[in-house]
Amino acid sequence: MAKKVRLSELALARSGDKGDISDIGLMAFNEKNYAIIKKQVTPQRVKEHFKDWVKGNVEIYEMPNVLSLEIVMHQALGGGATKTLRFDQTGKAMGNALLFMEVEAD
Amino acid sequence: MKKVKIAGCSAGWPDMMDPAIDAAKNSDAQYLAFDHLAELTMAILERQKAKRPDRGYIPDVIPLMRELLPIWKERRFKMVTNAGGANPEQCAEEVIKLAKSLGITGLRIGVITGDDLPIERVKELKAKGLKFKNYDNDEPDIDRVMDDLVAAYVYIGSDRVIEALDQGADLVIAGRLSDNSLFVGPFMYEFGWKYEDAYWDRIGAGVCTAHLLECGTWSCGTCSNFWAEVPEPWHSGAPICEMDENGESVISKVAGSGGLVRADTLKEHLVYEVHDPENYLMPDGIGVTTAVKLEDIGPNQVRISKLGDKPRGKPRPDTLKFCLAHADGYISEYTMIVPGPKAYDMAKRCEDFFYKRLDMVGVKPVETLVSFIGYNALYGPAAPPINYEPNELGVRFAIKTKTIQEARQARLQATLSWYAAGVGTAFGAPSEREVFALWPSLIPREEVPTKLEMREVK
Repeated sequence: MAKKVRLSELALARSGDKGDISDIGLMAFNEKNYAIIKKQVTPQRVKEHFKDWVKGNVEIYEMPNVLSLEIVMHQALGGGATKTLRFDQTGKAMGNALLFMEVEAD
Repeated sequence: MKKVKIAGCSAGWPDMMDPAIDAAKNSDAQYLAFDHLAELTMAILERQKAKRPDRGYIPDVIPLMRELLPIWKERRFKMVTNAGGANPEQCAEEVIKLAKSLGITGLRIGVITGDDLPIERVKELKAKGLKFKNYDNDEPDIDRVMDDLVAAYVYIGSDRVIEALDQGADLVIAGRLSDNSLFVGPFMYEFGWKYEDAYWDRIGAGVCTAHLLECGTWSCGTCSNFWAEVPEPWHSGAPICEMDENGESVISKVAGSGGLVRADTLKEHLVYEVHDPENYLMPDGIGVTTAVKLEDIGPNQVRISKLGDKPRGKPRPDTLKFCLAHADGYISEYTMIVPGPKAYDMAKRCEDFFYKRLDMVGVKPVETLVSFIGYNALYGPAAPPINYEPNELGVRFAIKTKTIQEARQARLQATLSWYAAGVGTAFGAPSEREVFALWPSLIPREEVPTKLEMREVK
């Protein structure tokens, strides 16, 4: 059976905001990890991970030049930095939160 | 081959001032660029200006210029800033006063206005039939909040920056000039890049590279995943980019400064807030962030080059980002700290107390959020189950209401919830604030005529 690991063992993350959109750059440590995250970090899994903190669609773009995924989460910051009730108004920690997601590594 | 050196000297407001002063003194950068504005900043500055017509710009520009102008006198670099905020004219006026008091002469200032639309102008545009869709929630037009508008501003591009530099400006002061254009403007002016088909690849390279610089010292290892390896972040250097006329560049930092520039630290910026990496929309052009290559070429030196044959840019969009800020009720917050043992159970008990009290006093907030600092304040429902015994937990209540009275009443109930906790609970200072929500939209470029005024300190 494949071993389950947290994304933090495969990649780094950096997140930011534009309005109510939270963007996460998920940067794989190497080609092998990039292949794993490309396959397993899907919009559906990201939505499940964040539950009701991400209310809109999730889009995932590939950046092969830097072995990274750009994860764009809509309606993901409680209305956006100026009106959200969250302490982390700009979602700087959303990337860190994603690193708790478990994926299967071989 | 022609090259130009530009330093990224500010990432927001407030920021450290010494990296800028260090770049001015100890580098040979020909340009210093300063970004001071975040999405909300313009609305705050707009409100300040409404109360006092001589406010509305970023006040830090004055102490900053007090340090920089004497260095400028010797070194004659050029400076581009969006510190004008909601009042670039007044900002220029204050800088001129300061320059005179310092005995500086010959300083030419380009003042760019027109990005900040009066509410009356928004009404006019609506009367003409324009609709301002909200790109966060897809609401088709702004009618619902039209009466609550407090500010409307457009993210403008480099057109007037290029013109100002062409007219010999030493300092360009703009309002909501996009962060990206603080760098792309000088690139376009120096290399003669035009908004034409022959140049989109190079402008795109400029857009991608500017994206790596606009966060100032962040590109030099502040706020980085590599924080533990970053030497002396407390005097981190400003990033310095040497760009050539083909759009290829080397990013380094001021010699002798702290911080760290590596392909890794720049990669963190390349993936930051771009949405679709193939279409990084900026007013001067669309950057293709997947078409550039980052490589370490020496200590604190990274080359940014073209990856294969893929174009690095596409034509600039016909519309500009248009942000409308409107009043949207109130938020009150209260945080207390409950002690262990059983801090989690105690925190839950306080949460229950709060909701029961809200019911009893009949306050119906628009929205509430109770989070436990030390467990789920940052991660919300993505936090894994609590499987440890925290020494202490912060309990944070955040409440959104329509009126300030409800905000105060709800906060009072949050404050009282420490009655439900055990002895040893510490309570801090509560607060309320007015909320300005942002309505992100688009506006046709031609509806935003900007203006350049040249001034000189004689």
